[in-house]
Amino acid sequence: MNILHLPVSFAAILSSISTLLLTNEAYLDPGSGSYLLQLLLAGLLGSLFVVKASWGKIKGFFRHLFGRGEETPPDEE
Amino acid sequence: MKNSQRLTASFRDPSGFLFSGNGSIYRQINQAYHENYQALMESGLYEKLVSENLLIPHKEISVEPAEPSLAYKVIQPEPIHFISYPYEWCFSQLKDAALTTLAIQKLAYQHGMSLKDCSAYNIQFHRNRPILIDTLSFELYHEGEPWVAYRQFCQHFLAPLALMAHRDVRLGQLMRIYIDGIPLDLASQLLPARTKLDFALVSHIHLHAISQRYFAGKTVHKAKVTRRMSSTAFLGLVDSLESGVRRLQWEPRGTEWGDYYQATHNYSLEAVEHKLTLVKQFIDHIQPTSVWDLGANTGLFSRLASNQGIPTVAFDIDPAAVEQNYRACVSGESTHLLPLLLDLTNPSPSLGWQNQERKSLLERASPDAVLALALVHHLAISNNVPLEWLAKFFASIGPWLVIEFIPKSDTQVGRLLATREDIFPDYTKQGFEQAFKSLFTIHRAIPITDTERVLYLMEKHKDVRENFNPS
Repeated sequence: MNILHLPVSFAAILSSISTLLLTNEAYLDPGSGSYLLQLLLAGLLGSLFVVKASWGKIKGFFRHLFGRGEETPPDEE
Repeated sequence: MKNSQRLTASFRDPSGFLFSGNGSIYRQINQAYHENYQALMESGLYEKLVSENLLIPHKEISVEPAEPSLAYKVIQPEPIHFISYPYEWCFSQLKDAALTTLAIQKLAYQHGMSLKDCSAYNIQFHRNRPILIDTLSFELYHEGEPWVAYRQFCQHFLAPLALMAHRDVRLGQLMRIYIDGIPLDLASQLLPARTKLDFALVSHIHLHAISQRYFAGKTVHKAKVTRRMSSTAFLGLVDSLESGVRRLQWEPRGTEWGDYYQATHNYSLEAVEHKLTLVKQFIDHIQPTSVWDLGANTGLFSRLASNQGIPTVAFDIDPAAVEQNYRACVSGESTHLLPLLLDLTNPSPSLGWQNQERKSLLERASPDAVLALALVHHLAISNNVPLEWLAKFFASIGPWLVIEFIPKSDTQVGRLLATREDIFPDYTKQGFEQAFKSLFTIHRAIPITDTERVLYLMEKHKDVRENFNPS
């Protein structure tokens, strides 16, 4: 998927979930879009945060897997 | 307290408000904020923020509240020398203010609290570092809730920074039009398409704008929203905003770093040295408690005052000059110098509710001394301001004036007149002195070596100092 088309796809997602969250009452709450966007992105933001926080360990794991372990410092005597 | 007066900048927040009395500024905390204030003070958050210079320190004080029926406590915050606004900041000042806000939010979350306001106006430059001045911005965080100040952070910080970095640095001035930050649909339209490839910008500006537009006019039943914001998601949101802000860069173009002053002026080294010596002498004579340097460029002459510990504001119209000045202040730890962006021909006006929410430049402070070096020709010739009006303008600012006159024979003025008719018959040394003599006493008028320029030390008539010796 071309990332430049993301907003279009995003509007479709908003449309499909909105029936679960919204009524048709005419009431304007300018903060709703900001409130719900956070909940919609929560999973992605959380996952990215976990990956970022564990990035060192992940790199270490793959280095180990492919036999490129970090150089061990020479023993001190 | 007699003669206490509510300040007009803090009327929105039911948690409390600022008021003045007996020459000091106080903040009344209302009963409605009682629980949150206790949490701030008892959770260790206040101590942590103050120790890291992120929140203005205050002391609880026993003076009569301005509105006793609402009051819980009165606090007295440490005073800020000069209140500045986001549309007067250069790119790095706004970026540092944004990062400070996010650092505060992370610490607040660790202490079970969250920022309920994210207004850029709540950040001020105190000893040249950004600091939160609104002690009542915190609230107890309820697990699972999204960040209530998310929209405000995006409008006050992320959108203007993205526009300045990706489109044009002058778009920071949109903050002067939109007092609650740049609308995200406008920012989304103005940003180039390539910003949709940046995760933070596509999420927090482009998709945010779509989401706002989509949900506007629809009622959200919060009770029906079963989805919650996990701890990692909340931290992920703040981290994503921080990464996004950190990635935004703007570099001053056109001149070499650190060579700005020399590159744009036609002074000889001797002339610069002589001018530096004279300005220093004049400042030493005045011994001002505060200085404004108008048309300060990168602050070469401002530092003659600020390096002595005199609180100095260095104004310039050029975002690149202010940016360079600010970066030099940060790297050199110049704590008494505040560089700000200002077009003197159209200075910051009174803004907001009843034109009283944000003060105009001249309403905010009155410095002891004004430096106006290599400035008059820009105002008198480029902007057609009559010399008498210039004298009135400077007299309205402060009692002391260090001002440079540059005659038509100087190449800088010649450049301004090269493509237009000379309609300034009074723009002469005599005409200049005549215009200023009606309001100022001219104590010194010294030609600058190797130039045709003259540096003046003037004092407004009504404020002649008894012990001044103009030898």
